[in-house]
Amino acid sequence: MIGVLGGSGTVGAVTADRLVRHGLGPVRIGGRDLGRAAAVADSLDTRAEAVRVDLADPDSLAAFCAGTSVVVNCAGPSYRVLDTVARAAVAAGADYVDAAGDAVAMAALTEHAPDALARRSAVFSAGLMPGLSGLLPRLLAEEGPPARLDAYVGGATAIGALSAVDALLTRGPGFGTAQALWRDGRVVEHGLAPLRGVVLPGFRGRVHAVPFLSAEARALAESLGVDELRNYTVYVSERIPEALARAWADIDAGGDLDAHVPEVVAAADGDVAAGGSWYTLLFHARARERGASGPTRLLLRTPESYALSGVVAALTVGALVAGKVPAGAHAAADVLDPRAVLDALRADPLVDEIDLA
Amino acid sequence: MTTPAADSVDTELADIWARLLDLDPEAITPDASFLRLGGDSVLAVRMAALVRTRLSVVLALSDVTVEVTFGELADLVRRRATAPGEVRELPIDVVRRPDPTASFPLMPLQQGYFVGQQGGWELSYESAHFYGDVGLTGVDPEEAADALTDAIERLTEHQPTLRARVTAEGRQYVLPPDAPGAVPELRVYDLREETAADVEATLDRVRREMATRGPDATRGPGLDVRLSLLPGDRGRLHTAMNLLVFDGWSATVLNRELLTLSSDWNAALAPLEIDFGDYVDALQRLPQTQAWSDDRDWWWSRLDALPDPPALPLRTDPKDVSPTLMGLREAHLSTARWAALKEACAGRDVTPSTALLTAFSVVLARWAGHRDLLLNSLQLNRLPLHPDIHRVVGAFASTMLIPMELPSGATFTDLATRAQRVFGEHAAHNLVSGVEVSRELARRRDTTRPVAPIVFQSTLGMDAAIGARHPSSVGPLGEISFGDFYHQLRTPQVALEARVYELNDEMAIVFSLVEELFDPAEVDDAFQELVRLVEDLADGPAWDRVVALPAEREAGDDGLRLGRLDTARSEVVAGPPRDDTERLIAQVWEDVLQVPVLDRSTDFFQLGGDSLLAVRAIARLVKETGVTLGVRDFLDAPTVAGVRAALGETR
Repeated sequence: MIGVLGGSGTVGAVTADRLVRHGLGPVRIGGRDLGRAAAVADSLDTRAEAVRVDLADPDSLAAFCAGTSVVVNCAGPSYRVLDTVARAAVAAGADYVDAAGDAVAMAALTEHAPDALARRSAVFSAGLMPGLSGLLPRLLAEEGPPARLDAYVGGATAIGALSAVDALLTRGPGFGTAQALWRDGRVVEHGLAPLRGVVLPGFRGRVHAVPFLSAEARALAESLGVDELRNYTVYVSERIPEALARAWADIDAGGDLDAHVPEVVAAADGDVAAGGSWYTLLFHARARERGASGPTRLLLRTPESYALSGVVAALTVGALVAGKVPAGAHAAADVLDPRAVLDALRADPLVDEIDLA
Repeated sequence: MTTPAADSVDTELADIWARLLDLDPEAITPDASFLRLGGDSVLAVRMAALVRTRLSVVLALSDVTVEVTFGELADLVRRRATAPGEVRELPIDVVRRPDPTASFPLMPLQQGYFVGQQGGWELSYESAHFYGDVGLTGVDPEEAADALTDAIERLTEHQPTLRARVTAEGRQYVLPPDAPGAVPELRVYDLREETAADVEATLDRVRREMATRGPDATRGPGLDVRLSLLPGDRGRLHTAMNLLVFDGWSATVLNRELLTLSSDWNAALAPLEIDFGDYVDALQRLPQTQAWSDDRDWWWSRLDALPDPPALPLRTDPKDVSPTLMGLREAHLSTARWAALKEACAGRDVTPSTALLTAFSVVLARWAGHRDLLLNSLQLNRLPLHPDIHRVVGAFASTMLIPMELPSGATFTDLATRAQRVFGEHAAHNLVSGVEVSRELARRRDTTRPVAPIVFQSTLGMDAAIGARHPSSVGPLGEISFGDFYHQLRTPQVALEARVYELNDEMAIVFSLVEELFDPAEVDDAFQELVRLVEDLADGPAWDRVVALPAEREAGDDGLRLGRLDTARSEVVAGPPRDDTERLIAQVWEDVLQVPVLDRSTDFFQLGGDSLLAVRAIARLVKETGVTLGVRDFLDAPTVAGVRAALGETR
């Protein structure tokens, strides 16, 4: 039995669907609203059960985890959930997959690691970003570390209220550094300027690329040993950067974070209304040596970025079930096989294009 | 700032108008419009500069329309003086640069001329320049050359642009007055003892040489002056000016000052507080202002609706011709008719320039077979940032696109009134130049071919705006015979240009064109039609007649036509750069464009490139690869893959 927490949300529903399609079911759908969870369970073509779960109630959470082999957490906001579900899962003897939850959540778990983590696996950052954004670029470094790696991730996508909270919480040194790049083994602050109105392969029209050296990008740079890494978040308009900037200014002045959620949601809706829903991941490597012949670009396009995170979470469960993930806490990018994920994504209907060239 | 009292505004303003319009201040009544009193858009800009200095009031470009009445303007000046915030001011000031020899960027039109000189661009020449020679009588052969040499030297001291040079990277700077080669050198042909046939042969040779190999500021002075001494105390004064550093307005200023200095050893010109570099320097701050952004947004929002250039029938595709000289047609409107035309225009509240623009458009519409036309215009107006600005020599000129949409069933008066409004509306957004607008239009239309190669240029009214008239008596150089004037213009990216200007008290209408492109009989017909129409306007009857125009809004697609040329390029397979050479090209583009270049199929111009950046990219690639790469090759396929193919397999 695979437990999918937050199973009635966009990410959770796709996770449950792919688990069933990949023959990894039966699944248990957990959500705050039993009716919505039941609707998802009914839509699945297999034995699925729906359970009402309250994340704030340890007994409710423990009951959900009991009897599962893997618990997939798709509930948010992940920066408030942190390691709560992970601890409940390993305590119940299950492995854990987190479709969001980056280094901060993982650190919360490992700081006072439960004994059970010696036998069970907990995989964080098993979504699109972080997740695919830290995994797929490895395909460009199979013949050795590139001299430079550029990453552009973004587009226009609707943001739910809980994800908006995550967006508002995602700042500070634990998450990354704006306008920084990685060069010769260290973070170079103010090394990059935003690119306004640029044309990028795989992106529609002219877009704004804002440099942000995320914790994941930095870990990737170190792990691959690249000389230089430039990581950009791509927006189709100024709506979201402006909404975030306004909110942060107010929060810094003592304002309430949750009060700004509607404007972030509205900004994202405005982007989608202007040009539809689409999302692109583009990685571009430059080899150290002349005459290099390995692939230099990976391009992935999807209409639904959050839904694609569910696909990645399901693939991570598959790797766990197949015994390919060692015990302990890991980032998905460190334990998944990038080529296997590439092949699985090629066949997924949520991927419009994936091209390694 | 002190607020001028109401009556002092009226007095000062009347004085400014009287001076510019050469009128008695008493003759200026509150309900008289600037236009009716003989003003035009060139003079209006000069007026704004004077109002700015003498009344400390900044007028927006949109305020100083020619239709404004004295009363309206006086009210406006009073309002602005008390509430300066409500005006869209020109938000920059010209100040002296700390280092007058420091290099500064090229203005947009200069960039066009600069890249036009690189060869390989469509409709380009080795140099863009204006050549003219004029007859002299009563020359003092012993003194003339010395007087002229001395005048050139003093003028070079006075006008720093005579010492301007343009670098290979497309920047410009001014040499110190004492630098070697700073002063253009006079060449004298003493033909006094030659036979008539030999004189003719030499003059032909000099003309040919100066008209085909004009001065080039990338190699030396932008001005070339020569003097032919002929039998019978006659002579000819030859001047060639590089359009890269001098515009048409400057040519007039330069000629006048040269003649003034030649006529009198003791003549002194009023000192200039600023130079061209100071102006360019100030303009660099313009894109950071709201006023500039507003103008850009105004233009950008109209780009997709702009019409195509007149679909004139062509003999040859412009990319297949390499002209050396432009063809000419020229006619003059007599003094009486020119005066009548001015009066007819004033009575209908249109400027003579607008009437001529409208007449040219009508002729083009009939020739092209459609009624919506995109024209280009050369604008000699300088932004009124400083009271000396109209006396400074430099490449201030800019262009402006004008969509001429001619409704059927309208009288000429209707068409001209409409053109006056359209022109004024567009000119009020001139902080973004037509060169920049054309670039964006080319990007959106995905073409590297000229988007508006039919040009209209009017300098009617410029003489008055510059102030002093040409001296006709020039000391040792004798008397100038304005009727004995030969000229040649070579300007890139132009298929056909109509120019109108004043010559003494007459008006000249000229076509400059790339003769190879058109059927000469069609050009003759069009020119004759234009001249007849202008004459009819001067004589009166043409104004109220319904103008016969083509029925269709769009021309048919028969044969080779301007604006309908093939822009298809070879398809390139998208993907990351494939080999080391493609990677090198992408890297060079990244350095030049300062944006990521990640795909071999992306267009250089779509990435934000312009022609000047293309020249820089080409220079870098030639240096890095050691392989020759022509501008034409680059333009034919401005993608990483295309340039890779052009560099060939030798790499």
